Amino acid sequence: MPPQKSAKTLTAVPTPAATAPPDASTPATLASPDTIAAYRALYDTLGRAYWEASDINAKDTIQGARDAIYDILTDLNIAQLQANTALFLALIPRVRQTNVALGKIKDDIGSITKNINTASSVIASIAKIVSIVGKI
Amino acid sequence: MRHRHLVPGALCACVFLLAGCSLSPLANRTAAFSSATNIVVNNSENAYRAAVRLNDEAQVSMLVARYDSAQPMDPHSLKHLIDPQGLETRTQVLNGLRTYARTLADVSSGVSSAKLDDAAKSAGADLRKLGDAISASTPVGIDITPQEANATSTALKALGDFLASQKVKSSVPKVVHDMDPNVDAICNLLLSDIAILRDQAGRDYEQILAQQDSFIRHAGTSLSATERRAEIQKLPKILANKQATDDMLAGLADSIKQLALTHHALAAAATSKDAPSLEARIADLRASGERLADFYLSLPLK
Repeated sequence: MPPQKSAKTLTAVPTPAATAPPDASTPATLASPDTIAAYRALYDTLGRAYWEASDINAKDTIQGARDAIYDILTDLNIAQLQANTALFLALIPRVRQTNVALGKIKDDIGSITKNINTASSVIASIAKIVSIVGKI
Repeated sequence: MRHRHLVPGALCACVFLLAGCSLSPLANRTAAFSSATNIVVNNSENAYRAAVRLNDEAQVSMLVARYDSAQPMDPHSLKHLIDPQGLETRTQVLNGLRTYARTLADVSSGVSSAKLDDAAKSAGADLRKLGDAISASTPVGIDITPQEANATSTALKALGDFLASQKVKSSVPKVVHDMDPNVDAICNLLLSDIAILRDQAGRDYEQILAQQDSFIRHAGTSLSATERRAEIQKLPKILANKQATDDMLAGLADSIKQLALTHHALAAAATSKDAPSLEARIADLRASGERLADFYLSLPLK
């Protein structure tokens, strides 16, 4: 079943290429969306060239260049994931706060049971006293 | 004496009235939401582990390929796609989400707790003992029949249910409403992570594929015909795994989008008894989660 439309929709999810440079050590030019897109395109183009090349030396040369681009793109992804880690960290207190609030509601509901238990123990105590008094 | 026969009937009437306030639809919905959330959380944790493992393998593959080159890789330079602190942070958030959903379900089902049942039964039995004690000790003739004691237990249970349901009714919708932006933020971050993991996994497989090809070609005749055949057969398997991983991550992204939408619907339904769209969303979420559930660990990397 396709998801039904909701009044509230998810906000746009930033893609690695569309987000700002997350790490101060990442040069701004490297992290710009256009540059990343160009590197990805170059990696894919070199990949096609690798499989089309028939000479093993040519393949090695192409793959060497491809490896370097792979390293750059991997470092950018690692940096983006680190930036997301900081955002996840900021969310932890809010989730904990909600869970504490829910825990309090759970305790309050538990105290309703305790109140009934208290009533029961009061009745039992009275019955015991009455039976003792009756024997005197 | 007639009025005494009316007591159990009156109590039963109260029970029916109070039972009418039960929040069982909310309890059912939060239980279903908790179960579906649990599946998405497990799938997400597995996806992170699988992506880190795949990237580790791609780096090791490169280490092997460059070993005899003019610029060999230093094994110390190997690093995880997500460092241990990053994984721990994500685990904490996902566990927090799981705890939230489970506690929500626990609280909503608090109206039918076994402890409350026991306490109410005990109160009825003690009341009967009290009647017997007074009857035996004083000239006042109080006789509490088993039916009356049972009616008292039932009434106390209904009262407890009512009080608990009132607590849930007055507190839970606000908690769900306040948590909605946080669930939205968590889902958006998870979606951002998955977009990165999909991008990275595609290239990790491409690197493993090219290095496997390079290994076969450089090995030349040092591989026997049978060994060469087996190594070549790995190439299409790597490509098949690449496609399967991408499909799985795309499916997980869909599940996470549905989780956010389901929570929006849950927040809306917490104040309404009629929520047909929520039931459909929970069913969709659970189905999409279950399709992925056993997928990650079954993925061969080689």
